[in-house]
Amino acid sequence: MSYAERMARLTARKVAQTAEKQAKLGARDEDDYGLVLPPETFVADLPVRDATGQFSGPRAWAANFHWLMANHPLYIDPDDAIAGRWMFMLSRMRLGYQLSRSNFAFDYSDLEPLQKKYDITTGIGKDAHFAPDYAIGLGLGWGGLLAKVRAARRTFAADPVASELLEAEETTILGVQTWIRRLSEAAADRSMTEADGERRANLVQMARTCRAIVDAKPTTFREAVQWIAVFNMASRTYNRDGAGGQLDELLRPYYEADTAAGRLTDDEAEFLCFCLLLNDPHYYQLGGPAPDGRDQTSRMSFIILEAAAKLKSSCNLTIRVWDGMDRRLYRRGVEILLANRLGYPRFSGDKALVAGFMKNGYSAELARSRIAVGCNWMSLPGLEYTLNDVVKINVAKVFEVAFAESDSLAELEANYRRHFRAAVAVTAQGIDFHLDHQYLNEPELLLNLLSHGPIEKGKDVSHGGATYYNMAIDGAGLAVVADSFGALEERVETEKSLTFEQVKAAVASNFAGDEGERIRCLLDASGRYGHGGTAADRWAVRLTGILDDEIAGHTTPHGFKLIPGWFTWADTIRFGKAVGATPNGRKAGEPISHGANPLPGFRKDGALTAMARAIADVQPGYGNTAPWQLEVDLGLADDPGAVDKVMALLDGHFALGGTLVNINVVDAEKIRAAHKDPSKYPDLVVRVTGFTAYFNSLSPAFRELVVKRLVKETI
Amino acid sequence: MGLVFDIKRGSVKDGPGLRTSVFLKGCPLRCVWCHNPESQAAVSQRAVATGEVCGREMSVGEVLDEVLADRPFYGADGGLTLTGGEPTMQPDFAANLAAAARAQGVSVALDTCGEAPWAAFARLLPHVDLFLYDLKCLDDNRHRALTGVGNARILDNLRRLDAAGARLWIRCPLVPGLNDADADLAALRDFVAGLRGVERVEVCPYHALGLEKYAKFGIPVRLDRTSEPTAADRARWRAALGLG
Repeated sequence: MSYAERMARLTARKVAQTAEKQAKLGARDEDDYGLVLPPETFVADLPVRDATGQFSGPRAWAANFHWLMANHPLYIDPDDAIAGRWMFMLSRMRLGYQLSRSNFAFDYSDLEPLQKKYDITTGIGKDAHFAPDYAIGLGLGWGGLLAKVRAARRTFAADPVASELLEAEETTILGVQTWIRRLSEAAADRSMTEADGERRANLVQMARTCRAIVDAKPTTFREAVQWIAVFNMASRTYNRDGAGGQLDELLRPYYEADTAAGRLTDDEAEFLCFCLLLNDPHYYQLGGPAPDGRDQTSRMSFIILEAAAKLKSSCNLTIRVWDGMDRRLYRRGVEILLANRLGYPRFSGDKALVAGFMKNGYSAELARSRIAVGCNWMSLPGLEYTLNDVVKINVAKVFEVAFAESDSLAELEANYRRHFRAAVAVTAQGIDFHLDHQYLNEPELLLNLLSHGPIEKGKDVSHGGATYYNMAIDGAGLAVVADSFGALEERVETEKSLTFEQVKAAVASNFAGDEGERIRCLLDASGRYGHGGTAADRWAVRLTGILDDEIAGHTTPHGFKLIPGWFTWADTIRFGKAVGATPNGRKAGEPISHGANPLPGFRKDGALTAMARAIADVQPGYGNTAPWQLEVDLGLADDPGAVDKVMALLDGHFALGGTLVNINVVDAEKIRAAHKDPSKYPDLVVRVTGFTAYFNSLSPAFRELVVKRLVKETI
Repeated sequence: MGLVFDIKRGSVKDGPGLRTSVFLKGCPLRCVWCHNPESQAAVSQRAVATGEVCGREMSVGEVLDEVLADRPFYGADGGLTLTGGEPTMQPDFAANLAAAARAQGVSVALDTCGEAPWAAFARLLPHVDLFLYDLKCLDDNRHRALTGVGNARILDNLRRLDAAGARLWIRCPLVPGLNDADADLAALRDFVAGLRGVERVEVCPYHALGLEKYAKFGIPVRLDRTSEPTAADRARWRAALGLG
C-alpha cells in the first residue's frame, strides 16, 4: 500500500464527507475547517447552560469543553496517520448564535445606536483571531502545560479571578488528555479488527503515538504532527480558532532528528504533513525571514509544500515572499498554483509587512516574526491579542451618512472624515468594552495555553494576559466609496454634466425612472478605482489617508494600539444590504466591493498590472494587510513562461508595497459550469477570500461573487 | 505621432513575461481569421452602433507614460510589445517609441506579419530585442488567398532578420482545414529549421472571440465558431511542429 494510494483514498473520503456536510448542513459560506459530521445518534447534551440556553465564564466553558472531550465521537481512519477529527464548535452551541453577531453576556446597548448608524462589525464577544505559539505546547506537552497551570494556581491562590481562570485551564487540559487517551484506545481497538497488515501496523502506531503525547511532550516527527493536530482539533472544538503558524520551523527539529537517526524518510514525512493538512486547513506559513533576518526556508518547507500539492483539497498555506528568500520555494508554489488550480498556496509580501509593523514602534526582529495566519490578518504567535478580521467599519455606510448631509464635493469629503472619525471612536469604545468583559464571557482557554503570559499572569489573553495589544480595525467597501467620490468629481465638478442635487435626488430614489437610470448610467460609466489615473484612483488613495489618519497611531480610550487595514472578509453581501444606493451607480442593497479590490469591470482590458498597482497604492502600511483578491484565468495552459509571468506580477505588486495576495488561478469555463451545477464538480476548491472552500459547499450568492470577480485574459 | 488603436497593460500573450502591448493601426494583410479587424484600416474608424472611435493619434511620450506605468512588473523578461495591425506600417513612430522605451531600460518586442519593405525592418532592427514573427502558410498561392498577399517578401524579410542575428519567436496562426494540412505543417517546420535565431515556435489557434468586433465596425465576417480547432487538432499541430 503506497503513500500515493493512501493519499488518494483519504482525499476521496474528504470529498465524500464534504458532500455529506452539504446535504446535511446546506450551503456554508465559510472555511471548510476540516470538521466532519458526528454520528446521527450522538446527542451533545452540554452539562452547563443557564435558563436561556447560554453559558459564560471560565468555569462553564471548561465544564462544557471537558464534557465534549470526554464524550466526543472518536474518528479513526486506518489510512490516516492522524487520529481524530473534530465535529462540534462549542462557541456555536449557545442558543441564538449568529456568525455576524456573537452572544455576549454584557450590555453595550449605549454603543449600539452609533454602531448601527455606521454599520460597524464590533468584534464584541468575538473569539480567537490571534495566533498561538505552538512551540510552547510542543516544548512542554500536555503534562508540562498542566504542571505550569497548577504552579500558577498556587501562585494566584488568593486571586479569585485568576483562580477561576486557572482552574478552568486545568479542566481544559484534563479534557484534552482524556480525549487523546480515548483516541489511543480507539485506534488500538480498531487495530484488533483490521484485516490488512499495513493498516493494522498503522493503527498500532497511531495508538502508540497518541498514548505517548497524553502527558509527555512529543519527541518524534509523527508525535509532533499528532500533537499539533490534537491542539488544532481541540481549539476548533472550543471556538473555531484556526490561526496556524510557521509550520516548517515548528516541524524542522523533529524532521532533522528523525531523519538523522534513520527513523524517518522524506516520503513518510511528506505523508505525515499531508495528513496534517488534510486534518484541518489551518493557516500555515512557509519560508520568510527569521527574527535575525536570515531566510528560514528549509528542506521541511519543500516537503510541506509537496504534501500540499498532493492534497488537492482545501488548504491555506502561505509562502512568505521577500528579497532574501529561496526563490525555488516561491517558484514551486506558483507551479502548484498553476498546475492544481485550487487556490493555493497564497503569497504574503513580507518586505512591506515588516516595514509597516515597525512603524508602530516595534523592532525588526519582532516584525519578522509576525505572520499571515488568517484570511487577511497578521499576528505575532503567542504574543499578541488583536481581534483580527472581526472589527470592521462599513465605509460605504459612513459615506451614505455623509452624503445625505452634503451639498458639494468639498463638504462631502469633510463630512465623510468627520463621520469616519466618529465611527472609529465608537468602534474603539466597543473594543475596550470587549477587552473589559470578554474574559467573563468567553475566555480563551485553549489559546491561553499557547500564549506567553496568560498562565504566568493568571489573566485571560483578552484581559491583560497578552504581551502586546494591537487591535485591528478594517475598513470595508473601499471601491464603492472611491468610485462614488470619483463619479461625483468627474460628472459634477469636472464635466458639470450633472449637478450635486441631481445626483442626490437620483441616489435617494434608488435611481428610479428613466431619468434616474440615465443618471445612474452616467455615474456608472465614470472612471473606476483600479483603472489607473482616474479620479476614483486618487480618491482611493485619499480614503486610505483618512483611514490611516484616524486609526494608525491612535489608541482606544483605554490606551490599546489600533492598526488599520482594508478588508471585508466574505461579507460583501451583508454589508451591501445595509447601504442604500451610492453615486457610483450601485443600487440599494447591492453587495459592496471586496477588500481592497476594485469593482468588477474596473478596466476594459482587465489589466492585472493596473489592479496590482492600484491595490499596492491603497495599503494602509502599518503591518496589517489590504489583500489583493485575485481570480484569474490566464489562458496560459501551453505557455512555458506562465510561472515566470505570475511571479513577475506578484513581484511587482510586492515591490510596490503589496502585503498579501489571495489568488485563484482558475479555468473560467470550469468555474462558470460549476456555478451552474456545482454537484458535477465535487472536488473543485476555490479561495473565497483568505480561506479556501469546496465550491459546491458555497451558496449561489457566494459562488456568484467568485464568478463576478474573475478576470479573464482578453484579446 | 502614431495612430494607436489600443494599449493593453498586463498582457501575458505577446511575448515573454508581462508586457504592455501597444496596438498600432493599419495592416497590409486581410487575414480571413483576423481577430482584430478594427486594426486593418490605417485610419481612425467609428463603430457603427456606439460611435466609439477606434484609433487615436498619440505621441511617443504619451504612449511611453503608459508603458512605464507597468515597469515594476516587467522583471527580467517583460516589457513593451509593438503590435497591431502591423507596426512596420508606422516605422518611424515604432522605431522612436522602441528607442525611447529601450532608453528607459524597457525591453522591446515587435509583433509583425513581415509584409513590409526591408527598409522598415532595417529602421527598427537596432531598437528591437525580440521579433514575434508570423508564419501563416508556406504555399504562396494559398497565402495570398488567406491573407490577400503572397509570402515572398515575408519569407525574405524573415531570412534577412535571421541573417542579421535577430532573436525570433515564430508564431503560426492555424485554422482547421485552411492551413493545417500535414504538408503545411511539415513545410513550416522545415522552414523554421533553416533559421538559426529562432528561440521558440508558438501555435496561435483560431478563435472566434473577435467576431463581435466585425459587427461593431461593420466589417464582413469570413470565419465563425465552426472553424475553431478541437483539442485533437491542437495536439496534432503541436506534434507536427515538434512542440511536444
